[in-house]
Amino acid sequence: MAPRYGSLAWLSRCLLSAALVLVACAIATARFGQGLQLPAITSRDGALITLNRYVDEPTPDIVLLGSSLTFRLKEEYFATPRLRNLALAGGSPLTGLEIVANQPKIPKLIVVEANILSRTVDSALVARFSTSQHQHQIFFRPVRASVAAYENWMHAPLTHAQNERALQQLLDQPPSDFDNHVYLERARQQIDIDAPAGVVSDAVETLGRLSGALELRGARVLFLDMPCAQPIEEARFMHGMHEAVHKAFPDASRWLSIELDPAELRWADGVHLDERSAVLVSRYLDGIFSHLQNP
Amino acid sequence: MTFTSWQFALFATIVFGVYYLPPVRPFQVQLLVAASLFFYGYGQPELLPLLALAVCGTYLFLILALGERRWLPVGIIFNLALLAFFKYKFLLFDPNAPVPAGVPVIDFLLKLPLPVGISFFVFHNISLLVDLTREKKAPPPGLVDVFLYIIFFPQLVSGPITRAGMFIPQIAPKRFFDIPFIEAAKWILAGFFFKLYVANNLNEMTSYMDFPLYETLRTQDRWLLVVLYGCQIYADFFGYSGIAIGLALLFGYRLPINFDLPYSSASFSEFWTRWHISLSIWLRTYLYIPLGGNRRGKFRTYLNLIIVMGLGGLWHGAGLSYLAWGLMHGVLLAVERPFLETIRAAKWAVLRPLRIAFVFMCVTMLWIFFRLPNFDHALGYLAGMFTPSTNPNPPKLFYDLALLYCLPVIIQHLRLGSLVERRMAAWEPYLYGALGALAYLEAGPATAFIYFQF
Repeated sequence: MAPRYGSLAWLSRCLLSAALVLVACAIATARFGQGLQLPAITSRDGALITLNRYVDEPTPDIVLLGSSLTFRLKEEYFATPRLRNLALAGGSPLTGLEIVANQPKIPKLIVVEANILSRTVDSALVARFSTSQHQHQIFFRPVRASVAAYENWMHAPLTHAQNERALQQLLDQPPSDFDNHVYLERARQQIDIDAPAGVVSDAVETLGRLSGALELRGARVLFLDMPCAQPIEEARFMHGMHEAVHKAFPDASRWLSIELDPAELRWADGVHLDERSAVLVSRYLDGIFSHLQNP
Repeated sequence: MTFTSWQFALFATIVFGVYYLPPVRPFQVQLLVAASLFFYGYGQPELLPLLALAVCGTYLFLILALGERRWLPVGIIFNLALLAFFKYKFLLFDPNAPVPAGVPVIDFLLKLPLPVGISFFVFHNISLLVDLTREKKAPPPGLVDVFLYIIFFPQLVSGPITRAGMFIPQIAPKRFFDIPFIEAAKWILAGFFFKLYVANNLNEMTSYMDFPLYETLRTQDRWLLVVLYGCQIYADFFGYSGIAIGLALLFGYRLPINFDLPYSSASFSEFWTRWHISLSIWLRTYLYIPLGGNRRGKFRTYLNLIIVMGLGGLWHGAGLSYLAWGLMHGVLLAVERPFLETIRAAKWAVLRPLRIAFVFMCVTMLWIFFRLPNFDHALGYLAGMFTPSTNPNPPKLFYDLALLYCLPVIIQHLRLGSLVERRMAAWEPYLYGALGALAYLEAGPATAFIYFQF
């Protein structure tokens, strides 16, 4: 009987220890909440952090929605206060739009990137952030929370004011002379296909429906074509998408036009703006937002 | 149905609950066979007939070979043909072609997916044929016992590869009170911890090793990811093997240990006595020794090592990368062999850590061929480790997080676990309980076990 008793005692202690750790983590969650934003390792992680912040913090005046193209416009690049970038790297602008539309309070100005609308709406993300489900994590995650605390302490995101000098220094430099033609050609080949007609028409329909609903609630919804390298803009997929969206929404007053000198812009990986170009675009949008807020 | 799914937890609980009921005791083997068939058929029911064919065919050849030994090679060829057909058919046929061969039956077979675990159950079949024919065991084990040996669900998909001579004598009625609960719990908890906490979290980071993502990395991050992948593949497979050994113990069977701190090896030959031990033993017993081993002179020994490791590489998958991985390990084994005795005789204290570091770096760099089965991509990654990166916006990897996810592998290899066992035995159950809780709390996104693809 001794071995049985020994096993029972061992297993009981093991279970007790596991239960104590779980209870301690549940108490820690109740005590400290889930305010710590964990570091993003992948684009999916980044989306969760962005969306958590959006639904947990006060509703901004302006929100940017988009794909990885808009994701590059970091919030600290903008001088415009109360602006939030909800672009999802690897995701659809419509995912963000649907989440925004499902919130009780909405921003005054909503800017939707219209370059890549063919991706399907991430229904899991929409479901998670359209209810209070995102707050239902019961247990504190000690390792990730510790790393998050350390990272937030060591590398807290800078505000625009803190960053202004560095941004100006960046703008004072000439555009990068990095040779991106290998990446550009690879990206062009990948999108030199016809945009799937059914998917595009569904996306346009969703964009119209959600925009209409938001406008009825008092928001202004504008569309934006993020600047891309010429071979990318001319690729069949992007060209087809551009035509379909502009045909569906022909009213020029609904479109934000970015009129920057193309010679100043660079796309290091062929598709996404490099940092200097992203700052230039952000500054340009600052000017537009300022005009829209103080006509 | 993977070990980390709730479906598997439910399945294992039900089977365990029924297994030790007194009325079921005479039918324990049959119950395990039925449960294993259910386990295998849950994901790929269309492949159950193949599994039955492999087992029944092997059993038939076993009976014939026990009468006349000339049937033994026929049985081995039957199994190797199964493995070759399913594993390497896509080298010759396009699986997406509407009619790859034009003959309905062959087209049906050609379109079947790679049967999960085929590499493992074919090796079990060959072990059964060779071991029992060599022992001339009479009477031969019954068909149900053979079924259990080959398809026992804890080891069916990814091993450990148990030799027939070790498993079949264990087939006997089992009693609940004989279960080594503590040992089983330790294996299962450690296994889940290594899989969920270490491997799944590291997988998030090593996903950047995919083509073309790796081209965006900084050079030092390419090096870091290779080390992280070394930790991930170890944690993944050690985790699987640990869960398999613990589960088997709950049903009264002892499976061989598959890992023994492989990254503490000071030579490549030592590494292969510590990494995937059951495969190494299988290859040595059924391939290296029959090829002549080290009994036919130095040159033939080196050639045998390279052949065995090359075939071991191809066993993992039909691709140039796997072959290159195996051959390079074979070359490393052959190159170090003449110097081993001299190096071992050297008394410098600093030499062993240096040797461990060298073996670790070589082994982890060769994992690139595992991570990137496309040979060109693997070469591209390797080249990128020695050239400065040009991407002005590289992805950011959190080094602190990487260290925390690797820490269990490092602690284990520093043998701190055995220190706990010796000096802090009273704290051991609490430690394992905390590991179990941490595995649940900090589990990374679910990913399949790496060795499931083999």
